[in-house]
Order: sequence, then structure tokens, then C-alpha cells
Amino acid sequence: MNYVGKPVKRINDKKFVAGKSQYVDDIQVSALHAGFVRSPYAHARIRSIDFSDALKTKGIVAVFTGKDLNPMLKGGPGPWVTYIDTKDWRYVPRNALAEEPRYVGDPVAIVLGIDRYSVADAIDKVNVDYEELPAVTKMEDALSEKVLVYKELGTNVGYRKNFTSGNIEEAFKGADKVIPVEAFNTRLIPSPMEPRGIVARYEGGSLTVWYSTQIPHFAREEFSKDFGIPSSRIRVIMPDVGGAFGSKAHFTSEDLAVVASSIKLGRAVRWTATRSEEMISSNARHNSFKGEVAVKNDGTLVGIRGDLLIDLGAYLTYTEGLQPAIIPLMVPGPYRVKNIHITSTAVYTNTPPITMYRGASRPEATFIIERIMSTVADELHMDDLELREKNLVRADEMPYKNPFGLTYDTGDYLSFMREAKEKLKYQEMKRWAEEERRKGRLVGIGTAFYLEISAFGPWEYGEVRVDEMGGVTVITGGTPHGQGTDTGIAQVVAEELQVDISKINVVWGDTQVVASGMGTYGSRTISIAGSAVKIASSQVLEKMKRVAARMLKADVEEVSYSSGEFTHRDGRKVSWDDVAREAYAGKDPGLYSSVTLEGDVTFPYGLHLAVVEIEDTGIAKVKEYRACDDIGKVINPALAEAQIHGGAMQGVGQALYEEAKIDENGQLGVSYAEYFVPTMVESPTYVSYFAENPFQSKYATGTKGVGEAALIVGPAAIVRAIEDAVGKRFNKTPIPPEEIYKAMLDRKS
Amino acid sequence: MVNPGEKVKVRVKINGVEYEENVSPRKLLVHFLRDLGFTGTKVGCDTSTCGACTVLLNGKSVKSCTVLAVQADGKEIITIEGIGDGKLHPLQEAFSDNFALQCGFCTPGMIMQAYSLLKENPTPSDEEIKDGMHGNICRCTGYQNIVKAIKEASKVRP
Repeated sequence: MNYVGKPVKRINDKKFVAGKSQYVDDIQVSALHAGFVRSPYAHARIRSIDFSDALKTKGIVAVFTGKDLNPMLKGGPGPWVTYIDTKDWRYVPRNALAEEPRYVGDPVAIVLGIDRYSVADAIDKVNVDYEELPAVTKMEDALSEKVLVYKELGTNVGYRKNFTSGNIEEAFKGADKVIPVEAFNTRLIPSPMEPRGIVARYEGGSLTVWYSTQIPHFAREEFSKDFGIPSSRIRVIMPDVGGAFGSKAHFTSEDLAVVASSIKLGRAVRWTATRSEEMISSNARHNSFKGEVAVKNDGTLVGIRGDLLIDLGAYLTYTEGLQPAIIPLMVPGPYRVKNIHITSTAVYTNTPPITMYRGASRPEATFIIERIMSTVADELHMDDLELREKNLVRADEMPYKNPFGLTYDTGDYLSFMREAKEKLKYQEMKRWAEEERRKGRLVGIGTAFYLEISAFGPWEYGEVRVDEMGGVTVITGGTPHGQGTDTGIAQVVAEELQVDISKINVVWGDTQVVASGMGTYGSRTISIAGSAVKIASSQVLEKMKRVAARMLKADVEEVSYSSGEFTHRDGRKVSWDDVAREAYAGKDPGLYSSVTLEGDVTFPYGLHLAVVEIEDTGIAKVKEYRACDDIGKVINPALAEAQIHGGAMQGVGQALYEEAKIDENGQLGVSYAEYFVPTMVESPTYVSYFAENPFQSKYATGTKGVGEAALIVGPAAIVRAIEDAVGKRFNKTPIPPEEIYKAMLDRKS
Repeated sequence: MVNPGEKVKVRVKINGVEYEENVSPRKLLVHFLRDLGFTGTKVGCDTSTCGACTVLLNGKSVKSCTVLAVQADGKEIITIEGIGDGKLHPLQEAFSDNFALQCGFCTPGMIMQAYSLLKENPTPSDEEIKDGMHGNICRCTGYQNIVKAIKEASKVRP
């Protein structure tokens, strides 16, 4: 009954491969279809909306505007207060429908009809008289405050804070060298394969919502707050969710308009985003860092100072508030640098709203600090990893309090570095690339190190029930949506209870079934949700021992348990199934335990290496991607590797292909013809290793988390590999072929 | 000619069963299939880029978001629900065995395209698999395990 540490097959695959999966658009509920009239302007005032022709369209039931639905709202989505301090922010809560649209695509009216085709017809017949207003679509321009996204705020700056530690002036005065640094991440689109969707049914004072979300319990809270419905009367059900990557942890205007329409009409209403609608629902990243670093000639990093600028898009989403507050804290990364001064500024622009995306602030911070390390290595003519080793926090300093007060829990970065260099064949690969380049091939090797903050608390819920037939139902507040953590959780419980994994069913994502929950994000699930059910399992097992003792007419101390059998010292046994049945037949019936486990962050880390090859045309390809990670205890190596693969592919996308392009009018490119999500042709070969003797977290599972690792560090490693190949500096993602080509020409001349 | 609002009779065989339906001439095949309950076929991008809607039409793989239901009249359609023959098809088994899916949304289209690929080329190399599958996008897996799964399934002789 050993499951932990083994590549156990995913327990819920069958329905997915057989076509029996059920995403929100697959839910068979008799419901009206919703569609949206969207602003063609980046900023406008609405003079009037005439929908009389739309209403005459066959099959159309209703058209609502902001004037109809917004007064129904008692609040509106603001930042995620569990993690974001609203005092730091200037923002205006979002409405159901815009009365002053603030980005191209901002919904201004909802059309409801009996099928999607008539709704599409009617949308074309809604006449909106707009007065175009000045718009600001670039974050650098937003800083000048010439054009305001929100007149009522009097500024475009949503957030500004100084993050200061140590003595920055002294550090720069005493430095041997001061080196300018820049790091820029362009705007991305998370773009999970399942476009978001919602079905809302309001009936007799109760609201049921089927919702493609990562956070059903927070959704219940939000809808209760916004619509004044008692939360006990709201049921949010998360069906199968076709990927999210952080982008489905926020509430859109469309979601609110659908719920409001359902309440107003007393009918079920459904909306499934088209790909274009999905693409404007959630953008990501878009940040720049400009500053300088102070170094000693021996490579010691003594100070970092600079300005961080972050785009918010037109609205403060539930999750974007995380980035400007967390990026600076993680800029020191795994290094000992103590003197830091960063001004973090986040601005509104008339562009689609930005949300968190896989890694959420750690990819940005890692890109900044790893660009710093690589740039310093170049300027001091040192080896990339030798420079990093010089600056890594030492094992005897652990737990290490970083300059901004984060406590790095466990690890030995230096000895890990030695292990990783060996496994990834760093020296060999460097020599290989040099030789190949001499032969005329444009190849490059790049590495980057990361330290991640993961497994965010403050708590997670877990419940274990053993029924009268001996079946085990595990209920978790985590909300797996592709990662396979349901399987990981089943492994943890099967190992703890020493039962066959086929006895276990893992349940999540229904607020009427799961007592409470935070959800799956931030690489937290196997650590905090897994530990909650592990503890609940042990509590249930304790009770089963007591029942077994009763059956054996013995003291509980005389009974031991192993692999489905409760055994008395004298050799008499009772089986798991018999104990389960007895537990519901005698006194004190029932075998359940629930745990609301509090927990705090932990810090996994790793070294990744990318091998790139560049064609004469400047087109770069990542040929190979190698990863070595200390993620604490590994519950399922196959699932963990799969997270590395997927994250690395998104890292390749960010580094080379993906760029959400917005034209001067604020129009975002909204199809896969304009936004290049990597296909199989662009996929590298992945090799993934985990530390042989990992440093565990304080969580009962000993895990640290792996869901985001490769997208956190991947872009920095790939950009470094391009630099190695071309011999020119690149400070941004993505690096398109034309820029590489230009650099190749510059270098030749 | 069909007048606006008029419906057209479409006769198709889906997974071996005949259906006769009156449909609007502009209705897309993917919506036609999904409205009949074949929700294994997904809509991912609406623009024939992602391949989540891939089905077989008279044995050839098509992206059903870019085919009209009326174009399928008189033809035979196989969807993800129809390849298993009561049990999982070797491709379906191989996807599961090789961790070739995560969120699962692209999986039906991925498997249908792989099914079509293996019919045309029963022993593809890795490069041939990549070439034959690049019209199907997966955002989760990074593709390596999908290539592995298809390769493994290609070695199973029914």
C-alpha cells in the first residue's frame, strides 16, 4: 500500500479520454443563451442605446444595459482581500455592464435569447451611440496622467509603494561597479483551452451557478455580497475546468451580468466565451523594471535599486493586486543581497484587464533578478553559475529572513546547485555549444535559478469519510483543474489509511458539498489541501482503531493497523470492511473527520537549462529544456514532471512567441492567428529531475509545490540561451525573430 | 435555394447510428453534434486553429467548427464517443497511461486527430507525429507525453 512517491496513474482519466468530461458548456440545463454588445472604443461615454430592433429578432427574450443591471449590485468585485490590502489601492469596483466603457471589448449590453445564433443576430442590431473619449493604452503614457482612465480617481496610479531595505546609498557608494539593468515582460494572455463560462439559475430565492472557476467558495462570497443573497442560498458548482493558470480566479463583468439577468428574468442563463471573448477576459504580466545594481569585483551583489512599473489594464481585477506587492519582495530571490530600494507602481490603462497568470509575480521577480545576475556575470566576465553561487544564501543561514521579512524555510541552495549542474550537464553543454558555434551552428545554452514562494495559506479544508461499506470519500477545498492533484491527494490518503486507491473518491468544487475552501492556485494544493486530508485520514483511522478494539474486546493500545487489517497482539484480526460496517452499527456511529488546516508559505527552488538553436532567418527554437528542482517531497513524480513540461512550454511561449498586441486604438489581437500559443512543432524535449534528498516543507505532506516552477524560471533561462547563441543582450520577453535577426546582423557588421 | 429562417433536412450517421434532423443551413457541425448530446467534441477557438472540435467525416479528420452541418448530409461522422467500441480505444488507453492529458479539454480533438494520423501513417516517427498534430493545441502538457502516447498506441495492433 505504498503510493507516495510513485507515478500512480491519474484516477479520473477515463471520462476525459472517452469524451464524457463535463465542462460548463457541456452541462445540460435548459437555459437562455447570453451574448454581449461590446465597446469598439478604448474609452467612451454612452449617449444612448437603442435595442428595439434587437428585441424584434426571432428568439430574443431580453436586452439589458448597465442602467438595468448595475443598480441591482450592492457592491462589485474589487481585489482579493484574503491576500491584498485594499488600503494600498485606489480603485472603482467593477459593474455588471459598463456605462463608460474603458477598453475595446468592455461589455455594454447583454442580449438574451433561446439560442446562440439568434443572440448573435440580435447583438448586431443593438445601436449604441458612443461619444469617444481620450484613451491611454500604454502604461508608460498612463504615468504622465494626461489622460485619465478614471476621472473620479484623479490619477491613473492604482498603487505605489517603496520597498526599501538596508542602506542603499552606502551600498552604491562602496561598490566597485554600478551596472544598469532592465527587464521587461510584455503582455500575455493565459488562454486556457476551455474558454470561461457560467450558467446561473435563480429560482425561489436560491441561486445555483455552474462556473468555470478555480475558487468556487470565493465566488459564493462574491455573488452573495454583490446581489444580497444569503450565502447559504447560493450554490456554486465547479464542473470540469479546462485549464485556468490563475486566469479563472477573477470575476468578470460578463459573469455579473449573467447572474443579474438570471435574477431579473427568474430563468437560467448561460454564457460561454468565444475564444476572442476569453482573450479579452484575462490578460497577464506586462511589467518593466529599470534600475541599477551595485557589485564588488569578486561578484558580490551589494545593492539593487530601480523602478517597477506594472500595467493593470482598465479594471483592478480580483488577482492583479498581488503582482505589485509581491514582485519586490521576491526580487532578492535566493541571493544574500541586503540593500534594495524598489518603487513599485501600478497604473490603469484603457486595455483589457490583467489578472494573475501561472507564477503570478514570481516569474516577474525571477526574470528581474536573473537578468541582473546574467548581466553582472557578463560585465564581470564571470561564469553565470559561479556568480550565482557566490551570492546564494548559505545552508547555515537557513531559515533565512530575506530583506523584506520573508522567511525561506528549508534548503541548501549551494549543494543543490552542485547536484543540479551535474544532472543538467552544465559544463558539458556549455562546451558543446561553443564547439557547435565554431562549426557554424547558432546554438546557445542558458540557465537560470529560481526561488519560489508557494503553498499560500491562510488555511485549507479537508474531510475524510469512511462509509459503512469501507469506501473512502475525500472532500477537499482544493480545486484541481488539470494538475492531477486529485490523484496526488488520493495517494496521500491511500498511504495514510493503507487501503487500495480504488476505494477512494476525491470530491471538490461544490459549495454545497465542501464545507469551506480556498481553492487551487499558487502551487498550494498538494501541500496545504493534501496535508489537511492526511491529518483527517489519521483521525478517522484512530477512530477505526477504537472500533476494532471494541470488536476484539481489547484496549485500543493492544490493536495495531496495517494494510487493511486491525490486529490484536494475540494475533486475532478484523478487516477494514468489517470495522467500517461495525462503526455504523454500534455505539458512537460514524467515521468522519474534517480538518481546517492553517499553513504558511514554503520555498521550493531549482535550476533550469535551455538549449536553443537559431535559424539564419532569426527564428529561434528551444531544442531541449532541462529542469532540476527541489520541490520538497515528491508525491507523484509523473504528475510533477508533467507540471514541469507544461510550465516549460508556456515559458517557451513567453520567451519566444506570445505577445498580446494592442494597436494604437486599443484593439487587442484576439485570435490564435495573432497570439501564438506554441504547438507541438515548437515543443522542446524535456528532461526533468528532482533533488535526490529534498528539503521538506513544514506541511504534513513534506511537499513544497511544483505547479508554476518552469514558467517562473523558464523565460529567464531561454532568454539567456538566446544571448549565448547570438552574443547580444536581450532584456525582454518575448524575443521575436526580427529582433534576433537584427542582432545577428549588428553582430556581423 | 433556402429562404431565410427555413430549415433543411440533414441525414447523417453518427458513430454508426442514423440521425435525421431539420437544421438551419448556417448551423455549424460542432453545434449540431453538441446539441445532439455529443459533447465530447469541444469548441476551443471558433477559428479552426485549436482542433478541440476535430471529428472524422467520412474517415477524414475535420475541424467541425468550420464545417456546416448541411455539408455533412449523407455522410458518416465518428466522434470521440464512437471510437472505443464499448471499451477504450488503444489511443485512449495510451493517453491515460502516458499522462498525455491534464485539463482534458483538448484531449478528444487530440485523440481524433491522432486516430486519423495513425490511419494514414500507422508507424509515424516523432517528427511525423509533430507535423501531423500541430493543428491541435494543448495548453497544459507541453506535448511530449502526447507524442509518447501516440507512438505507444501506434505499436498496438488491434
